[in-house]
Formats: sequence, structure tokens, C-alpha cells
Amino acid sequence: MVNIKLKCIFKKFRNFTALENISLEIKDKEYFIILGPTGAGKTTLLKLIAGLLKPDSGKIFFDEQDVTKKSPGERNIGFMFENYALFPHMNVVENISYSGRVHARDSQTTKSLVEQVLMMTLLTRRDDAYPDELSGGMKQRVALCRSLLNLEQTKLLILDEPLKALDAGLRMSLRRELLLMAKSKELGLTVIHVTNDEREAMMVADRIAVINEGKLIQVGSPHEIYYHPINLFVANFMSEINYFDGICVKNKKLEWDIHSKSKQGDKFFNEIQEESVPMPIDIGFENTFAGYLKESLYNKIQDNDKVLLVVRTNHMKIRLGNRVSEKRNAILGTILRRKFMGVFYRFEILAKVDHKDKVIIVTRSATYEIHNAFLENSEVTVYFPKELGIIFEHPGDEIIREVLKLE
Amino acid sequence: MPTIELINVTKTFNEGKVLAVDNISVKIEHGEYVFLIGPTGCGKTTTLRMIAGLEDPTKGKFLIDGKDVKGIPPEDRDMGFIFQHFEIFDHLTIWENVTFGLEMRGYNDNYIIKEAEKALKTVDLLQYADEYPSIFGNPGLQKLGIARAIATGAKILIMDEPLGSLDPKVSKVFRHELRNLVKDLGLTAIHVTHNQEEAMAIADKIIIMRGGKLLQMGSPYELYENPNSIFVANFLGETNFLQGFVLKLLENEEMEIRIRLGGPKLKTHNFGNKFDLDDNIVIAYRFEDVYLFPEDYNFKNSQYDWSQMELFEVILETSRFIGATKRFYLTLDNNEKFISVKPGNFEENFISGKKLIVGIHKDDIHVFKAPDNLLSELSLS
Repeated sequence: MVNIKLKCIFKKFRNFTALENISLEIKDKEYFIILGPTGAGKTTLLKLIAGLLKPDSGKIFFDEQDVTKKSPGERNIGFMFENYALFPHMNVVENISYSGRVHARDSQTTKSLVEQVLMMTLLTRRDDAYPDELSGGMKQRVALCRSLLNLEQTKLLILDEPLKALDAGLRMSLRRELLLMAKSKELGLTVIHVTNDEREAMMVADRIAVINEGKLIQVGSPHEIYYHPINLFVANFMSEINYFDGICVKNKKLEWDIHSKSKQGDKFFNEIQEESVPMPIDIGFENTFAGYLKESLYNKIQDNDKVLLVVRTNHMKIRLGNRVSEKRNAILGTILRRKFMGVFYRFEILAKVDHKDKVIIVTRSATYEIHNAFLENSEVTVYFPKELGIIFEHPGDEIIREVLKLE
Repeated sequence: MPTIELINVTKTFNEGKVLAVDNISVKIEHGEYVFLIGPTGCGKTTTLRMIAGLEDPTKGKFLIDGKDVKGIPPEDRDMGFIFQHFEIFDHLTIWENVTFGLEMRGYNDNYIIKEAEKALKTVDLLQYADEYPSIFGNPGLQKLGIARAIATGAKILIMDEPLGSLDPKVSKVFRHELRNLVKDLGLTAIHVTHNQEEAMAIADKIIIMRGGKLLQMGSPYELYENPNSIFVANFLGETNFLQGFVLKLLENEEMEIRIRLGGPKLKTHNFGNKFDLDDNIVIAYRFEDVYLFPEDYNFKNSQYDWSQMELFEVILETSRFIGATKRFYLTLDNNEKFISVKPGNFEENFISGKKLIVGIHKDDIHVFKAPDNLLSELSLS
């Protein structure tokens, strides 16, 4: 059992506030991701949990036991940090099996465990190499192997950007292996994993904690974080977005029933609608759109209040020609640029919103139809299902610029 | 307008002991945005340095607009340089950073003011002219780098990991801006990166190198749809690789192949006469080219034509939501595993442990000769 609780953690380095009032609970056998941009305080948080740093105030509990003052050794954790810390005078196998000596495990068990992790990380053929002779990615894998062998006591694994230096292909397969291993019945690990890669986070996490500038912004399942981001920062961090300034027009009668279900995938949309309600907003001359917002927010926002509508680029759809009258939440535009990106095409579509030019980004699967028919200068209708429009209170233009790093 | 041509270029170091670039021929057209990519040590940086004039080829010809440029120093090649670490002068204002290069070339004041103003306006930095570079984040510094290059009349941009020091999130946004800027200015750009996704997102043309050799060259679409080797298929995008063998040679140079013993049979499109009966092969298909249907799906009554689809049964192990996409982990009867990726709002909610039908379009099945060691072919570092 490992159940970790952080209560009101503060940490300063001289005048720099690294962490501010962080309270978190990490459950037993949970794969927990700490996600945020460079400098958000992720590694500091991890070091506090590992016991390598002490908080200025606040408490840390492992299974209801206060460990705030305990040393890393007393906390019994397998951890791997960004700089690997391999022993230069030991070869790969020696580095990995070192913990076996510490834990006085019998040599046969150690040997078979070492073989397992070497196979998993494709290192079997380099088992007698010394750290000097390995590439950055290989060193990272050795460090990962070593942390995995440290685990029989607490079953808590702490990983700081464990896959950062690896090539895309290997990173992908190791993510999967990490998850399978953490979830395997024999091991059943609790994992706390720090990353700045949102896709990595969504791929392995049971729950994600998004932090920025030392503050905890949102905690939730990948689904919650992606479909119900708490603010513009989280929305934008999880994938590329479009945003529209709007005015709340709750009481405007629409020609269509705002509560009607979208046609496709009822089940999928039902999941998104949980704890959210639809609301119409005006995004400028004659354009009334609808999106969803948190139920708790609905009564806070009044008619004529400024709001922000956010739509992920991959939730925007496009049709050739002018179909604005047939579709809801639709705008007419022209394909300004298009770029093949592999799985997707990325379109920059020039549209008029509130009499002003606006570039709307749309990403669609690179099907033959998209490849052959959606060419630059084509007239297209851009639209989205209302369930995928996220409405926030308007944070002000300055915050928008800062969050989207427009300068 | 500059066209850049390398003809049978070889570069060796240490008196021929180290072969860095091995007989490559490349043509870069005017206005093309070209990427050089490949694993560490593949020769991409050496190639870039030769184009920039920082190294001379050991053998072969290097032409700009048909003229041999051997011996012409970098500053006289109409080129601007943008590197990971900027080389911006911190103690000069934005304006002075741009005018510096023009002054060094001895232009008169009127010309300098006109060109500097034009360049800063182009990259949308004119309002910051009197500020110092320290007010900018990295994207601003890179734009300043571009302004400096175009002010001196550069037609060719040489870029070595220009986005390398950016926060990943910022880099993902700025890459589109960078491409648009270069394209709008009509510049020719040659860009080295270790990030394949960045190359796919920006490039008109990608040159993939490995071990000093040019492996494949083409538009992102060409390389992605028709990779010429296991390495390229694996290097760009996400691909399933399964071992198998040739079961039958059919007419029109098509084949019937099988995924390992006991695996499903598949028909391929025309592969020429490249394969023989019983050849060991590697069968490759992209994650997103694997379509999924419920077990009881009625293909006959469907509005689509499935005749070009190869259909077979699999068991769904698990699925995983990752935002824009959803990943399905599939297992065949003979225990071979592969992956399907569909949009995150893919309507079907399949249940783990249940049987599904997989459909792959014949044209999306790639076949390669089996290498001695598939694992080492797939390991990129």
C-alpha cells in the first residue's frame, strides 16, 4: 500500500516561490502524472515527495504516516532523475543489479529480473558496456532499468522525464511498457511521473495534475482534463485550440433547439456533457454559437457578459462550399494554407468574424478525400458540434496573450 | 533566383578515415523549404555546413544557380544563418542588431534605414526597434534572426536546430509561424533538426540521411505514403511492423502474403517483381490505416465499397484515450500484436477482450525484404 497525501505545501528558493499551496492525494496503484511547462515546479514537487528537499511549510503523508521530516532512504522509493546518476566504473548489468546487493536479494532472482528489464528496454546487446560508451538515450534506459529493480519494498516509482532523451519510436513503445509494468498484477506499482509532454501524460496516466508557475491548476483523468479544462491555460496546453471572444446571450431564442442531441455518437457526447450545460453566445454580427460550460458557472455569467469560446483544432470540421445555413456553429471561410503533417492535415482558414479577418485552424485526418479535394483557396464551411465548444469566463486580452504566448 | 545543387558530394574527415557524407546528390529549388533529418551522426549537419560554405566537399560538385561556388566564402553566398543559440548581440538594440550587418557591408545610411525598417516590419518587430533583445522570448529572437538575414539581402536561410531551445509547447506554435514567414518572403530554407514531427509540420521537401548516405528524398506526403525502407517507415510516423512471408504470386505483380505462421492472409497491391515465393518479409502498415469494425458488421449492406479492404479478425486487448486520438491494442490468433489509432471522438466504443474485424486498404500495406535483424533496424539511436 502506498497512499500519498500532500497538504498545503509551500517551497521557496530565496525570493523565488517554487511551489505555492499544493495539496494533492495520490492513491495506491495509481499512475499519476505531473504535467506542466518548463519551470512550472514539477521537479521540485517530485523531490519533495522523494525526500530530497524539505518543504518550507505543509506536510507529506505516506499511508497516513507523516514523512515530512524523513530522509529519502526511510521513504523506500525507486526513483530516476533527469541526470541518471549512473556509476561510471560499473557496466550496464552491474549498474542495474547494484540495488540487489543493497536489498540483499538472492542472486538468481536479481539475474532474472535484470534480464527482464534489459529485454524490455532493448539493451540486451549492450549489457557489458560502461556508461561512457552509451548514447544519452541508452543511459536513460539503464537508469530506468535500475529504478525498476528497486521496487520490492514500497512499490512506489518516481520518474522525472524518464523518456525525454529517447527517439520517438522507442519513447512510444517504452511508454506502453511502463504502463503495462506498473499495472501488472505481480508489481502493482504506484507511479508518479513528471513530464512536459501532454500526449505522454494522456497516454499513461490514470490521473493528471497540471501545474504552472508553482500552482496546482487542475487534477483529473485525461478525459476530464481534455474535455473539461478548468481554464484557458489547461485547454491550450493539452492541444492546439481556436478561441473566439463572445457575449453571453442566454435568453436569446435560437432557431434550433440548443438542448437537442448532436446526431453522431450520442454516447460520446453524453460523456462530455456530464456536469455541463449548453449556452448560446454571440461572437459578433449575426453569429450566434452555442457551447458548453460548467453547470456551476452558468448562474455566474449573465446576459451581455464577455465570455471566451474555445474549440480544439481537431474538433473543427470542414465541408466544401457554403453550407452555413445547414450547419450549426458554422462560419464560411477560405483555405489560406494547408500542410500535410503525417496523420493529419493542418488547415489555416481565413474567415470573417465580427467583420474582422480571423484565421481558424482545423486539423483533419489525412484521408484521400481531404488530400484530393480540400485545396488552398477552396471555399469551405467550418463548424463544430456544440458539445465540443468550451465556454469560459473571459479572462481579459492580456491573459489570453500571455497564455497563448503570442509574443 | 538561387537553386542549390550538390552533385555526387562526398566529405571525409581525418585524411579520409571518417566518411561523413557518402556520395549524395541533392537539388533544392528556389523557394523550397527543405529539411535534412536523420539519426545522430547521419551526416546532416556536415551537409548543411557544406551548403553554408563552412566546409568544402572532399569530392563532387556544389553549384548555386549552376555556378560552382568552391572557394566563395559564406558571407558572399546570399545566405543568412539561424542557429539554436541565436548569435544575437545582447548589448545592441533590436534596430542596431539589424543595421550592424548592413553597415559592415558599407551601404549608405538611407539604404540601411530603408532595408532595416522593411525587414523589421516584415517580421512584425518594428515597434520594438529601440528595445534590447532581452525583452524577447526565444520566438522573438528567432524572428530577429530572420530580420537580420533578409535585411542583408539573403535569399537562402541556413538553420541548424532553430527551434531546439524553445519550450516544446512554444515550439509547436512557432513552427507554423516560421514556415509562413519563410514562404511569404519567398526564401529558400535549409533546416536541420532531430525532431521528425517538426520536419513533417514545416517542410516542402525532406531529405532523410543515415550513415552518410541519402536514404530518401521527397515531400512529406511522398515519404509518408511511400517510404522506401523499413527505416524511413519507422522514422516518420507510427507504423506496425509484422514479420511474414510471401504465400503466392498473383497476376498484375500483386501478391498474397501471410503474417507469420497461423496469421491472416493479405493481398497487396503491385510490388513489381521485387519478391519471390516464400521470401521472408516485413509487413508494415500505419497505425491510422487500421480500420476497426464490430464483429457483426454487415459489409454487404454498407454504402461503402470494401472490395479493396483486406479484412481479418483480431481481439481487442485494451484501448487508451490520448486526446486527439484513441489507441487500440490488438492481438491476432497467433499472438502477434499491433495498434490502431483513430480520432479521439471515434464513435465506436469497443469492449476489451472482444473480437473485432480489422480492415486495411490494400494500398496501405507496405512490404519490405526481411532484414537480418529487424530490432536493430527499428532502433533509432
